[in-house]
Amino acid sequence: MKNKIKIQRAIHNLTQDDLAKKIRVSRQTINTMESGKYIPSTALALKMASVFGVSVEELFQLEEGD
Amino acid sequence: MKKLPLLPHAFQKLGFILFLPFLALGIASIGWDFEFPWLSYKVAHTFNQHIIDFDTQNLTDEIAAVGNIITMMLIAFSKEKTEDEAIQFFRLASLQWAVIVNYIVLIICILAIYGAGFLTVMMYNMFTILIIFNIRFRFVLFMHNKASV
Repeated sequence: MKNKIKIQRAIHNLTQDDLAKKIRVSRQTINTMESGKYIPSTALALKMASVFGVSVEELFQLEEGD
Repeated sequence: MKKLPLLPHAFQKLGFILFLPFLALGIASIGWDFEFPWLSYKVAHTFNQHIIDFDTQNLTDEIAAVGNIITMMLIAFSKEKTEDEAIQFFRLASLQWAVIVNYIVLIICILAIYGAGFLTVMMYNMFTILIIFNIRFRFVLFMHNKASV
């Protein structure tokens, strides 16, 4: 699964720590999600999408093999 | 997602603090037959499956075993400082990993060790799932934290 968390973070000028506090996870978890090592739950994906004001589909895209 | 029940973070510290004394007590009790003399009691135990017998037993090794299990459970099932769904995922994944590794090792021991030696294997096997789980989970958390520095 591909994601655009890092890009959206840059657009909204948020650090990993800022985003982590907004969605109540650790900064390390943001990092793990950005690198694609951890796929968040639907609830967390929706929370992130609402922080950025985009849809979940804009934030996460399926890859071949998913 | 419905969160799994976990103890507050303070219990993890308590677990870490008490684990070493109980581990030392366990090793001393198994390795050198160490006993606290004031822990000898007359206890009931079943004898020949049906008859209940009373016997004087020293409870040092029992306390060490129970202490080791409880402290390892506290370390394993207390919340992390910032508990989130990624950490819950790592905890469950580590538990699965520990069960698989534990039973692979047990199968090897069943096939390779016989007689009285196997009783020793079973004794250690009471603790191995928790030991393997804790090592694996701490390692995964360490890598999780290290990766984002």
